Parts: sequence; C-alpha cells; structure tokens
Amino acid sequence: MTVKVDNSKCIGCAGCVSVCPVLALTLVENKISCDEKCINCGACVKVCPARALRL
Amino acid sequence: MDFDAVVIGAGPAGSAFAKRAAKGGMRVAVIDKKKDLGSPVRCGEGIGGHWFEPLGIKIEPGVGYAIEGAAVYAPDGRELIVKTAETTGFVVERKIFDKQLAIAAARAGAKFYPKTMAQGLAKEDGKTVGVKAFRDGECFELRAPLVVSAEGMEAKIAREAGFKCQALLYDVDTCYEYEMANVEGCRRLIELYFGNKIAPRGYVWVFPKGDDVANVGIGVGGSMGANPKRLLDEFIAANPRFKRAEPVEVKGGVISVGAPVDSFVKDGFIVVGTAAHQVDPIHGGGIALAIEAGDLAAQAALDAFQKQDYSAAVLRRYEDEWRAAEGAKLSKRLKLRKVIEQLNDDDFNHIFKEIGDSDMLKVLDSDFKPVVAKILLKRPSLLKILKALV
Repeated sequence: MTVKVDNSKCIGCAGCVSVCPVLALTLVENKISCDEKCINCGACVKVCPARALRL
Repeated sequence: MDFDAVVIGAGPAGSAFAKRAAKGGMRVAVIDKKKDLGSPVRCGEGIGGHWFEPLGIKIEPGVGYAIEGAAVYAPDGRELIVKTAETTGFVVERKIFDKQLAIAAARAGAKFYPKTMAQGLAKEDGKTVGVKAFRDGECFELRAPLVVSAEGMEAKIAREAGFKCQALLYDVDTCYEYEMANVEGCRRLIELYFGNKIAPRGYVWVFPKGDDVANVGIGVGGSMGANPKRLLDEFIAANPRFKRAEPVEVKGGVISVGAPVDSFVKDGFIVVGTAAHQVDPIHGGGIALAIEAGDLAAQAALDAFQKQDYSAAVLRRYEDEWRAAEGAKLSKRLKLRKVIEQLNDDDFNHIFKEIGDSDMLKVLDSDFKPVVAKILLKRPSLLKILKALV
C-alpha cells in the first residue's frame, strides 16, 4: 500500500512527512516518495496544502 | 571521531547552532539534503523586531522589507492597527537570509555538506556514533558524539532516535502562499484576516516584501478539512487590489501550532527549532525561535564538549533554559489559540468592536484578564470559552 503523489501539484513542502505515523514518506529534491510501510491512514492526504496526494 | 557534532538541516536552527558551537571550538558538520539552502520557502518570511537585538540579527538592504506594525481584520472587515516591538520587524527573503546564516556558520569554522541526505543514525554496538549520509551516489558516515536534529517539520532522524516529533492534524496549520507582484495598497504593515469562512481556524496574510510585492498566504487548521489553495484563490479573486497581481512564486507548508515536543535531549542527541515544534501557536512563526534555540543548544553542547560528556544530564541545560523562558510564553499563546478556535465569526466581530489597540497589546503580552473582563461586560455568553484565559 502506498499513497499516490501528483508531482504536478506537489510544492515540495514535506508537510505529509511530518504527519505520517509510520515514516513511510520521504522528500528528496522536492519530490515525495512513499514506501511499503504506508498503512493508508490518510493523514498526509488531509494535510497536503496542495492536495497532491491520494490513497 | 570526525567531528564533535553533526547537525542535520541547514535552516536557521542548524546554522545558529553551528555558528555558536564552531566559534567555541567544536568541530561541527552541517548536512542538508537540498542543493540550494533556504529553498523551497515554506513560510510567510516574517520576523518580529523584538528579536533583532537579543539575537544579533542584522537584515542587510535587499534581504528584507521593514515593517512598522500589523493590521488585523475581523470577519466583517473592521480593522485594528497594532504597533509594538513584536509587530514591527522585517519580511525577509528566506533564500538569502538562510544562506547568510549558513555563511556566518561556515566563517566560524563549521563544515557544510549540501545535497547530502541523512539516511539514518550510524550505530556501533547499538550506540549512536553519528549519521549515515548519502551524497552523489555514495554512502558514508559522519561520526560525532553529538547529533543535532534541526530537520524542521520532517524530523525523520529525530523520530528514528525516539523523539515524539510526529505532528498531529489538530496541532498543525496547512498553508499555501503566493508571492505576488503588482499588489495594490501595500503599507509597511503585515495584514492578518480572520474569519471561519475566509480561513477556518487560521488566517489569511498579506506580508509586504516591497511597495507592490507581497507574500499573500493562508493557513488553515489541519483537522478542518478545508482546501487552503482554493480558499486563498477565492480571497484573491474577491479583492480588487489583486486585480493586476501576478504570482511570481508558489510557497507553502505545514507548521506546528501545538505544544513543543515533550523532550529535546537524549544522550548524544539534541532536537532544535521547528523539529522540536518550537513555533508560536498563534501565528506559526518560528524563524527567530529557531535561531534562539540553536544558540542556546550550542551553549549546552559547548559545556558538554568541555566536559567531554554528552549525556542528557549535561545537555538538559538547554531544554531547562528554553522551557523556563520561551516555553512558558508559548504555552500561554497555545491557550489563546485554543480559545480563538472556538469563536464564531459573530464573536470575532463583537470582540473587534469592543477592544482597542491597547487591548490588543495586552493580549500579545498574554495579559488576558482585563481584556476578557471588557469583552464579557457586553457579551457574557462568551464566558464558557474565555474563562480558559483567566
């Protein structure tokens, strides 16, 4: 399970990283990636100011 | 050991720590995963004037736009202008400001590793001995008896080390911002617009960076479900002063407006700045708080360096001093945030009608009692909300 990132919307703020309870998200050079630790809780989707994430 | 301290993150907290620690004789490494420090900007870029003298902050020409006060707006448009040391200051260009702090730290002797990712803690026999770094396709270790997390909201290495830096939706604001040219009506005032329709549990800001250039942004409560970009676009579309305004940069981020994390130090480890949620819960500002905490943490680290004892018992001095000073102030501001978020627009309008500039100064000083008394005189029904302040 991973969240999907729309990089055309993402502004590279890493807000999603800060709320992820399982440290599944990483920001490298303004791009977010999600690894298999993801539990689909949706916190990142809710907090994203650019609405760039979806489950 | 390669270094006496490895700092993760070259923002204001990391560079302030590095400068003070390097000046005191420590060998300091600062790593930052970005190739361009200070970017992307995630904030409104305002710094209150009351910080400049105690922190020795100097804003060079071209790096910031001087601000003389704040204009605060109720949902019905009523304006209150507040001029205090706290509401004067500068709106800075973070990309230059942050780099200048890094340059000052480098001049003091700190070694910088930009474009270098902290992948995790380097361990030996279960003990942390530094940071695992990754740069240009190569992994290497930066070894030091002290690791400093100045990672900002991400705080991944601090969390790996066991600090409770995960942010909760209720205790963050989610923010979107444009830097705009051709903004009409900029005065040397920061403008804050309150209202549950405009910005649920937050505010819209216009922070001038020039006579016709401003950061126009919004922060909304993370648990409110509101789309900050859409609300900001609506605010801009509804206001004729932005008719000719052109965005020249898009910024944004998520900021803690809750309590600081419950512990800042462990054996061989310090957390400073926004990573430790050392942020003002009312306005979400943290640049100066980060510089102050970085400096304070470095003083404790120098003490540990002299004793060659980086245990939590020695480093705790930083945490104790911070909590006694800033911690006490910020906890009052958090109380105020939790009261403000219960007010509806009608309450807001009423309060703005009843209070004047001098009352606003008292609120900013956390002297709530006389102001609460004044408001309750006309609207006693607010007692159940406002009593938390007295």
